[in-house]
Order: sequence, then structure tokens, then C-alpha cells
Amino acid sequence: MARPEPEKRAAYGYFLDLQSRWMDNDLYGHVNNVTYYSYFDTVVNYFLIEKGGLDIHNAPVIGVVVESHCNYTSSVAYPDMIVCGLRVGKLGSSSVRYEVGIFKNDEDSASAAGHFVHVFVDRATNKPVPIPHEIRAALEAIATEGAQ
Amino acid sequence: MTEPLDWRPGDFPYSIDVPTRWGDNDMLQHLNNVAYNRMIETVVVHFTLGPLEIDWRKDPIYPIVVESLCRFHRQLSFPEIIRVGLRAGGMGNSSVTYEIGMFGEDGDVPGATGHFIHVFIDKETQKSAPIPDHIRAKITEHGMQA
Repeated sequence: MARPEPEKRAAYGYFLDLQSRWMDNDLYGHVNNVTYYSYFDTVVNYFLIEKGGLDIHNAPVIGVVVESHCNYTSSVAYPDMIVCGLRVGKLGSSSVRYEVGIFKNDEDSASAAGHFVHVFVDRATNKPVPIPHEIRAALEAIATEGAQ
Repeated sequence: MTEPLDWRPGDFPYSIDVPTRWGDNDMLQHLNNVAYNRMIETVVVHFTLGPLEIDWRKDPIYPIVVESLCRFHRQLSFPEIIRVGLRAGGMGNSSVTYEIGMFGEDGDVPGATGHFIHVFIDKETQKSAPIPDHIRAKITEHGMQA
């Protein structure tokens, strides 16, 4: 079956290095497929905290995941360093589509790439609300052309 | 073909019940998204070990995941026991797409749905290989219902 071409680092605007852990490897001796989603979760929230000022404990508006997706091209394994590349592929009023590339050590082609969609909701009512200004500004800074 | 939100437990010819754990919930008081993806993997692995009788330690041709997807419709939470259903949604020469539905304890509307694509690999060459006939037959038995 036709597989997507691997993504390159230059396609992403924000990077976070994560040290892979012993328990990330499964019986095949490489990072388990589900663990990539934990990397996605980690880079997205770290970005929102670092660049968007998100207070994960007290913010009145929170991001909930409505979709996650990953294409696996080649393996990574503990003790590799996991470099997560992040960009915004679509920015709506209350939703954002993050696109994440997973790079092994200093490689330029992604081992895996996927997306992750957040809808921002009121923490109390669980209803969608506009993305807070500071977060939107951060997201715009790593948005691809045509994302809005 | 129905929309994922219309999928019901009875649409899936294979299912397992997965108990959630305290640590599956995150600080937003529901299952973390990664926990749903873990359940998708779990039902697929059980299906390969059970009906497909695949022994990944010994078989010369075995499956690896090349793509996974999860859509989150409504929140599931510890300590629910989740009914995770699987059906074969499509099959190529060397790949199979499983469709998955995850159902909580409060009804038959899915909390989440998704898919998981396996490609069969030749252990020697590490290249994709045709799905063996006996496995293909079992997958077909668990295909989408009319």
C-alpha cells in the first residue's frame, strides 16, 4: 500500500527533545506505537504552557482531544533521543489541528508523523469557546500557510 | 457505510472487555487520549493472538502497525469497563485495516472510534509480504457486516 513520504524537520516550527525511556520499548525492541501518542500529548501541552501561557491547573479554558492520528514510517527505540517537531495545520475559532513529527536523534526524516486535534472548551460547562488570545498568538506563530 | 458515531456494539464480530485503571485518567478527570489508543492496540493484539492464531515469536510472517487513528466522541472514565469491538474494514494484498469502537457502561453510543492498519512483514527480508491464506480467511470472517 502507498505510504506517505517522510516529513522533514524544516516543515516544523517548534521542537522539543524528549529522552525516551526503558519502558517505551515493547517486545519488538522498539518504541511501542501507542507511546508516540504520549509524545504528541507531551509536546503539544508543553508548547501551550511555554509559549501560550497555559495554566494546566487553573485555566478556565482547556483543550480536549477530539482526534489523534499517526503514520509510522521507521522505528525509534530506547535510548534514542526523541525530537518532536510541532506545527499548526489548521486553526479554527475554537479548534486547532497540530501536526507532529517524531525524529530519531539527529535524523532529518521523520520516523513517524501524525496529527492531534484540540477543541478548547470551558472547564466548567465543557462547551466549546474561542481559543484564548495568548494561546492563539502562539499557535499562529507556528501555523502553516493556509492554516487559517 | 455509517458514520463512526452510529457504530454500535453489535456491529463488531469480535470484542473484549477492558477494565480501566486509576492511572488511565488524566488531570481532566477522564481517560487520557493515550489510554484509548492503548485499548485499540489491545483489541487488535488479542484478535491476532486469538482468532488469527499469530505467534509473533515464531511465525515467518507477522504484522506491524503502520497507521492508527482515534476519534473521541464522548468521555470515558475510570473505573468503567470498556467494551472494545473490532471488525475488519478492508484488506489489501499485505495490509488490513481494523475498525474499532469503544463503548462505556452507560449505553451503546461509542465513546471513541478509530482504525489501526497492520502490514504483514516477512521476518527474513523485513519487506511486506502477502497475508497468508489461513489468516486472510479468518480476517474475512470478521469483516464488516452487510
